[in-house]
Amino acid sequence: MNRSRANRRIIIIVGISALLATLGVVGKLGPIRWVFDHTVVPVASGLSGSGVNAGEALSNISRVSALARENTRLQQENADLRQRLAADAETRSDNDLLRKQLGLNVAVVSQQVAAEVVLFAPDSYRQFVTINKGSKVGVVPGLAVTSEGVLIGMIADVQPTTARIMLVTDPEFKLAAKDQDTGAKGILRGQLGNGLMLDEIGQTDIVKPGDSVTSAGLGGQVPPGLLIGKVQSVNSRANVVFQSAQVETEFRVSALRFVYVVLGI
Amino acid sequence: MRRAIVVGLLGLAVMLQLSLIPAIRPFGVVPNLALVMMMLAALNLPTSEALIVAAVSGLMLDISSGTNFGLWTGVFMLGTLAIEMIHQVGIELDRPIVAPVLVALGTVMIAFVLWATMVTRVTHFSGATFVSRLIIELMINLTLTVLLRPALSIILQSRRRQLESGVR
Repeated sequence: MNRSRANRRIIIIVGISALLATLGVVGKLGPIRWVFDHTVVPVASGLSGSGVNAGEALSNISRVSALARENTRLQQENADLRQRLAADAETRSDNDLLRKQLGLNVAVVSQQVAAEVVLFAPDSYRQFVTINKGSKVGVVPGLAVTSEGVLIGMIADVQPTTARIMLVTDPEFKLAAKDQDTGAKGILRGQLGNGLMLDEIGQTDIVKPGDSVTSAGLGGQVPPGLLIGKVQSVNSRANVVFQSAQVETEFRVSALRFVYVVLGI
Repeated sequence: MRRAIVVGLLGLAVMLQLSLIPAIRPFGVVPNLALVMMMLAALNLPTSEALIVAAVSGLMLDISSGTNFGLWTGVFMLGTLAIEMIHQVGIELDRPIVAPVLVALGTVMIAFVLWATMVTRVTHFSGATFVSRLIIELMINLTLTVLLRPALSIILQSRRRQLESGVR
């Protein structure tokens, strides 16, 4: 093959690639995405499952001494939660009765769709995962996603059979949240490698380490009351307008396998 | 046959990059096996073939990355074109330093683009965490390159001889 012919071939390939990348940026990669969703995703799904299992096994080996302590703590927490659940059921039925008497709508339980994590973001900095449920089952951008009862992120974009979730730990994640114990509201932000931060809390609001942080349900499609994590530490100084709090979430990206998309209330 | 081996290994690396590796996250980072395999494949394939492989694998990673569409395709294509330029100026592609330098540049370029995107949109950005992750990822990627380069070279020895004699 002579040089000019080879160069022409290179230019054509680069041109086609640039065109495909541009189509991807404007979201017009329909048929290619379809092929991707029906070929790569099923294979990667199996590998992701193996990866999660392997990650968990490695993680357990490295913290085997802490597991016994964690087990005792979880047993205590479980007993406490059962007690609270029983009390909550009583409160809920009272609440429904009073709402009926006052002519208010009775709060309905949110609908959820179970999904499996099939792909992870391929880099060390962003926190996205792809699930195997999409617009065909009613998933739309902005919906909340939970795993093991904890809010893990929001739907970022949707294809017919897949959807991508921006996790709460992504540096660009933002959501109105509140301290469930004191009602203090703020903006929850993801931080690169440093968990979560509840920011823009009013100076006079009270936030304490150990308090539960939940979604505030202000605007958007994320319902209020979804558990996000617990306050780890509070950063409050007299000369700044807002307080901030470091929030610890219990989910780990490497352990994500099955999630629930909260379709609405 | 050897060409199919390179493409097969790269395909496997891309699949692992999207599934197993981010799920395991050694030392809290995602080692870039796809980048390492892409650069090694580009060193061992004719440029036009390497570019096609770069475009396909880059698109696969872009589709699932969630942000900065075109970043992976761009980095893979630039790396392949850089190899062609290195070849044209007469530098031996067999030199042990070529692959690690290309992998290091690719790793830094991907990190830089992601940093540039995040730093403008994020209010509390931890530069120290970012740099420490980049250093760990760089070290793992270079180790992978050093380990995988000789293995791939052995598989493709005769193909390389063909390229050196001007088929490229």
